[in-house]
This record gives sequence, C-alpha cells and structure tokens, in this order.
Amino acid sequence: MTRFLKSWGLRLIGLVAGILALSGLGMAGTKYVVTNDDSAFPFPTGVSIYAVGANGLPVFQQRVATGGFGIGGGYFGMNRIAVLNRSDQQCVYSTEAGSGNIVGISLTTFTVGGIATGSNTDAGTSNGIGLALNNNYLYASFSDSNTIGTFQIQSGCSLAFIGDTSAVGLGGGGINAMALHGTMLITTYTDGSIESFDISGGTPLSNGDKQASSARVKSQGAIYANSVDITSDGHYALFGDTSTSFNVEISDISSGKLTKTTVYKSMASISSSTVMLSPDESLLYVINTQGASVSALFFDKNAGKLSGGCTSNAVKGLSKNYSYLTGVSLINQTGNGGGVYVAEFGSSSGIAMVTLTSSGKKCMMQEVSGSPVSDINSPGLLSIGTYPPRSF
Amino acid sequence: MGWLSKWLLAIVVCGFSFLQPVAQNCPARPNNGTVVADPFNISSQNGTLSAKFTLGHSVDTAGYTHYCYNYQAGSQGVEAPTLRVNPGDVLNLNVVDAIQDNPSMPMDMAPPAGPKCGDGGAATVNSTNVHFHGMNVPPVCHQDDVITTLIQPGTPGFQFSVHVPATQPPGLYWYHPHVHGFTEFQVNGGAAGALIVEGMEKVRPEVAGLAERVFVIRQQYLVPWIPGPYQLTINYQVSPLIGAKPIIQMKPGEKQFWRVANATLQDFLQLQVQVNGTLRPLEIIALDGYPLAQTRSQNTILVPPAGRAEFIVQAPAEGGSAVFFTQSYSTGPTGNPDLAQSIANVETTSGNATTSMPKTTPPTAEGVKFFDFARQPATIQRKLYFSEEFGGTNGPIQFYITVDGQKQKVFQANEEPVISTKVGAIEDWTIENRALETHAFHIHQIHFRVIEVDGKPAQNTDLRDTIEIPFWEGKGPYHSVKLRMDFSDPTTAGTFLFHCHILLHEDLGMMHKILVSP
Repeated sequence: MTRFLKSWGLRLIGLVAGILALSGLGMAGTKYVVTNDDSAFPFPTGVSIYAVGANGLPVFQQRVATGGFGIGGGYFGMNRIAVLNRSDQQCVYSTEAGSGNIVGISLTTFTVGGIATGSNTDAGTSNGIGLALNNNYLYASFSDSNTIGTFQIQSGCSLAFIGDTSAVGLGGGGINAMALHGTMLITTYTDGSIESFDISGGTPLSNGDKQASSARVKSQGAIYANSVDITSDGHYALFGDTSTSFNVEISDISSGKLTKTTVYKSMASISSSTVMLSPDESLLYVINTQGASVSALFFDKNAGKLSGGCTSNAVKGLSKNYSYLTGVSLINQTGNGGGVYVAEFGSSSGIAMVTLTSSGKKCMMQEVSGSPVSDINSPGLLSIGTYPPRSF
Repeated sequence: MGWLSKWLLAIVVCGFSFLQPVAQNCPARPNNGTVVADPFNISSQNGTLSAKFTLGHSVDTAGYTHYCYNYQAGSQGVEAPTLRVNPGDVLNLNVVDAIQDNPSMPMDMAPPAGPKCGDGGAATVNSTNVHFHGMNVPPVCHQDDVITTLIQPGTPGFQFSVHVPATQPPGLYWYHPHVHGFTEFQVNGGAAGALIVEGMEKVRPEVAGLAERVFVIRQQYLVPWIPGPYQLTINYQVSPLIGAKPIIQMKPGEKQFWRVANATLQDFLQLQVQVNGTLRPLEIIALDGYPLAQTRSQNTILVPPAGRAEFIVQAPAEGGSAVFFTQSYSTGPTGNPDLAQSIANVETTSGNATTSMPKTTPPTAEGVKFFDFARQPATIQRKLYFSEEFGGTNGPIQFYITVDGQKQKVFQANEEPVISTKVGAIEDWTIENRALETHAFHIHQIHFRVIEVDGKPAQNTDLRDTIEIPFWEGKGPYHSVKLRMDFSDPTTAGTFLFHCHILLHEDLGMMHKILVSP
C-alpha cells in the first residue's frame, strides 16, 4: 500500500511539474546561476546549474552533461553561455569549442534539447565560441574561422543553422565578443577594432563601420576592446578594454552605426576585459581581469557618460586559487543589480560574489562572506550566466 | 592549469608537427643517473682564446628539442665548453650556423633598420648570434652587439673578437644566442655555456686552492613557446622528477667552490644543499660574476633566470648523503610553475675534482670595475615598469617594459632607443612590477647595484646584472627595486638592450634599447 501511494504520489508530482513546466510557471521566482564548464578533451564538458541561496550565494544543483568537449580557456570578453527567457521556453545555450557545438538546454527539464553545429569550416578551438541572442536568433562567434554563425532558435531549445558571415578585424584580428540590440549586432576583434552588423534579416550584414577603437589608436596598438554591452535603448555601446590599466570606451550608436569611441581611463586597477550594465543602467560593472577586483562606474544613460564609482578590494584567492577574473552576471535583474557574480579562472575555479552598496553618488563593492563558491566541474571557468537574464 | 590547457591546445592545433624528426646535430648527452662531469674547458693562451662553435639542432627520443654549440676538441666533439679568459684577454670566437631548417616554424621577424653586422637579412628561427651575458664589453659589431648581428645558415660563419676589459670582475658569466623573437628556441635545452673570467681567488681568498665545479643548469621544453612540462638538466644530464638523479662527487667533508649558472628559459632557482635532510649553509662568494664585498652565508640562494651564484659547499662526512635542490618558487597567478626538485645527489668519494682554484695570490679588489661606484651620487632618476596584457588565457598577450610616462609598446628591432644618456652618467632606475607574474630585469653591458627593495634600503647591496622583481599580489603597492646604473665607462658607449630575462617575454617584446652617447 505504501509502495502504491508512493508511486502515485510521484506520478502526481511529476504531472504537476510537467504542467507547470509547459506553462512556464515552474520557473516563476526561480533563480539560477549557470556556468559553462569548458572541460577540454579527454574530459567531457557540461553546464553546471546553481540555485541561489538565501544569502545570494550560488548553491550547486546539478550538472547537465552536454557530451562534447570545451577547451579550458580562451578570450575573456566572449560569453560562452547565454540564457533565453521567452514566454514559451527558457533555455541555456552553451558552447563546446573543442567539438564546435552549441548546446541548448531546457531550464524546465534540465535536459539537452538540441546540439547544433555551424558550417564545416566554423571553428573556435583556440580561443572559444562566443554567443549573443535575441528571441529568434542565436549568433555564435567562431574565433578560429572568424565567422559569425547564425542559428534560428527553435522549440525545445534546439537550434537550426542558417549560415555564416565572415568577421575579421581591420588588421586581420580574430572575432571575439558580441552583443546585440534590436537590429544591431556589435563585435570586437583581437586587433583592437570593432564593427557593427545589421541583423534585421536574421543573418548579419556589416554596417561598414569597422574601425579601430580610440584607445587602440591612442595607445598605438597596446589596448584593445575585449567585451561589449549595449544600452536598453540602443543608444550607446560600451566596451571593456584589455589594458595594463583600466579602460572603458563608449560609442554613440544611435545612428545605427558605430561612432568614434570616448575613452575612460583609470589607474584604479589592471585591465577591464569584461563589462556589464546594471538593469537600470545607472552603473557599469567592470571586471578587472588582471587586477583581481571589480569596479562599478556611474553611468548617465542619457548623456552616455561614465563618472566616479568604486572598486572592490582584491577578490580572495588570487594566485592561490585563480589567475583571472573573467565572465560576469548580475546578482539581481532589477535596479542597480546589487552587484555581480564573477567567474574565477584558475587552478580551482570559483564563482565570486561581489555586492554593491550605493547611495547614488558614492558606492562600495565588497566580496561577501562565503565567496567564492567552488565550481568543481570547471577546469577553468570563463563564462557565467543567470536565469532570469537581464531584460535587455 | 592555464599552461596545461595551452599545451593540450597546442597539440590539438598543431598535432605533433613540432616533434618532426630533424637532423641529429648535437653530441650525445650524458645518461641519467651518472656522475656529473664539468664542461670541457678552453683557456686563453698568451692573452687570446680562439675557438670555433657550430650551432646545431636535434630532437631527442622523448621529443625534447636541443640546440647546441658544437666544439671540436681534437677528435672529440664537445658541447658548449667553458670559455676561460683573463681580464685584458681577447676572445676570438668563430660561430657557424648549421641549424637545419625547421619547417614547423616558418615565421620570421623584420630585420633591424640601419647598419648590419654579419649576414643581415630577416631574423628567423634559424638565424643566430651570441650575447656575452654580464660582460662589460662594448655593444659593437664583433663584440657584444645583438641588435644588428645576424648569422644565417649556409654562410661561412661570423668572427667575434671580444676584448675583455682589464677591469672585468672575475667571476662566472655565460654566453647564449640573442636573436629577437627566437632566443627561447635556441637556449631551450642547450645553446648556452659558461664563460669564466679568471682571478676570483685574487679578490676572494676563501676559494684559493678549493676544488672548482662548474654547473650549468638548463631547461628544456617539448614546445618552448608553450610552457608545459619541462626538464631541468645539469651539465646536459637530465634531472628527472622520478628516476635516477645526476651524481655530484665530493670527498667527505671537503669544501668545493661551486659556480652555478642558471641558463634556464624561465626557472627561478632557489638553490639549496640538503645534508641528511638539513639545509647546509652556503658561503656565497659572487653573484652574477661579481665578487661580494664580504662572503655571505645563506641556506637558500635565489638565482633568477640568467643569474649566477658562486658559493662554497661543504660535503657531508663519510657515509652522509646530500642533495643539490631547488625549492619551488611562486611566479604569480599568470606565471609558470617553478617546481621543487632535487637537481643532483651528492655522493662522497675519494676522487678528485677536475680543476682547482689557484692557491697563491694576494687578495685585492682594487682595479675591479664598479668597485666603488655606489659611493657616487646618481644624477638622473628614472622609473620603469613591467606590465602584461592578457586578452584571454591563450592570448593575445602583450609583455611590456615601459619607461614611466612613455607609451607602452613591445620591442621592435627598428625602434629608436627609449632611453638616452651619456657616458659618465650615474643613474638610479626604479623598476616596478605591475604584472601578476614575477619578472627578471637584465641590462646588457653593465652591472648595477641594488640599493632599494620595495622602497626600503636593500639588505644586500650586491652588484648584479639580473634581478628578480616579484609579482603584484592584487593589493598594496607594486614590488620594486631601485638600481644604481653606472655608465661612466666609455666602453659602454653605443646602443644596447634591457629586458626581462624570461626568454618568452623577451622574445615577445618585453625589451627596449638604451643609447649611451660618448
């Protein structure tokens, strides 16, 4: 009898869960932190899924094996994981650079919904495959073939490959990071150039605005834009530069093309390879890739200008546990975001949690007690995401 | 982990093309677990040392690349002999480049602008030249110019004629190739040897009559530009992490004078001699070829890449055992691991060392270059800093050494000097490390005196030509050294280099020129 009840009980729970999943209601209020494990051959890679504990720290839930191989490294600025939050499906897309795949995982069932590959020549085995998506298309930057693969998002988190677009920097630099807004996709290249594409037809077409960023020009080749983010109104593109200091650049893209970037430089820390706007766009979070710290700069979204801000102390474990701070995602998806989760790449990867306290004019970034959370499945964590993602 | 992923990546990207068999042009190396022999010696006669080296290239059965200086001693081919000269001698060295083409490395570097020395042309992995590291000789063609000197394969060779100053400090120096972009390849596993300026006993009488040992510690990688697994060798004998170790023989209780050159690509050696598990004090006689003002006893001697340490070691008593050891050294989050390992086992025996220091010379340091320059005030202050840019774990990477206030840039062979000064100048250079990796500062042609470390007076104001500057820990001020540079000798006039002596960094541009005008 007990066995009978248990069996029916489980079926009932399963049925309810299934209905909730189908309706999308199963995700309501749920928060996840997701990481691309990026394990290199011979260790199959996967995606690690963390719940968010009461204190905000990620709590490991499960690993979804994706079957292929990562490369355990690559460019800092590119996002190797992207989260789709559509009314009909919630998915995590993750790249397997060693195998050349993009894997879609359903966040309602935690199962692989599809594995897509690009063309025969698409490859990112040296430095990874980056992602950017909207509700209909997912774009993949293949860092070896210097191509942008366009994939149509289909049901069940699967993807259908549509075609490739060549994407090479002014000086032959490889494609790195991407961000998109509306009909515009922006890329960075490893030679310090940047470019935008028109994606109104799905497949990217160059806007003919490829240019060296101002910091690149001023530094005579020393500094280059690594990551990129775009404001919710599509007015500005913000670039996080790789540098021996701290450099961020902003381009007015309201015309539909990139314009000459304005440089913001500081000696507050070393490098600034990844950036992310807060949900209310009052702040730009900057990860000091080689400086072991996290900064937040005040952003005037109307004027497109940065000012002031604050920088955290060195995040714990530099040298001992990690070498670089890399990917970034927001703690909260409203207001100023409340701080960030940061990927730690090193001998023992982790997820650091650095919170923000702000009065609007002054701020403080501080790593919380209990941070970092070990990311045991990744040999070198570079990319991190959250569900729900930021709304733009 | 970063280095491992890079290494695996190299295999994925390149396959094993770098393991292609090449002509075996280097002499056979000593077997593992055998007695360490000193390098073959060539000494000057009547004020001149003449020798001919042929630079070759081999890959061993384990896949390790060896470059080598071949010297023909009668019917015997020997590798990288120790060159022994006296102050005031002339070193005539003929170098022939016999490197077989390496098809897996077709890249080349632009030749320097301006006058050529040697064969000219583009610098490639098959081009070479020679730097006489630490020697205070002129930076001119046929002496110690590495900016314009190029020796190409298939040519008759190139004649160096190095005039050793009469004031050259007695001590251990070394020679190695220095072609920008490719130095690491050729020093990897072999093309380097000891150069000794005789007369140490004249300034440090403690060594008179002692058995002398010369140990050149080298490092070899499977793929020099992907720092993965490596091996250390001592006088070309591999010192495996597991397996039979090289054997150094000493008489029970005997004191020997060890002259150790760190000819590795990037290993910071923390040298120790452990006797029955206890650290044995080492009496330091000289560092970087320069005799210390006073002998100093230390249990551990940190020798950066390219540095040298000369010290007295006492053997264990009869029946005791000892180990020549290097402790692990943290080079920082983005540095490569320098692992702890024993380099050789010390075995007590009744045999004799091959050479001994002369016994009878009244000691004096008068007349030795730089003897008293620390007492002279500096007239010019400069600040330089090391920094690195990583755009990803596998690159793009940029390595910089920058004069504060100037733009950061990597070295170009045709660049203008970033520092100009005049003969007679005494300068203080503060070198800061803003990178997450330890660097090793080296300047050609002169020694410098270490006067401050991290802004405080140096505990040991030694004269050096290479000095380590630890990595930044992510908080607090950058580590730094203040170095007093003496350009008063007219023989330093010319254009020469300063750089990080981690050879990958040097090859990738962490280097610049200085012009010393007459």
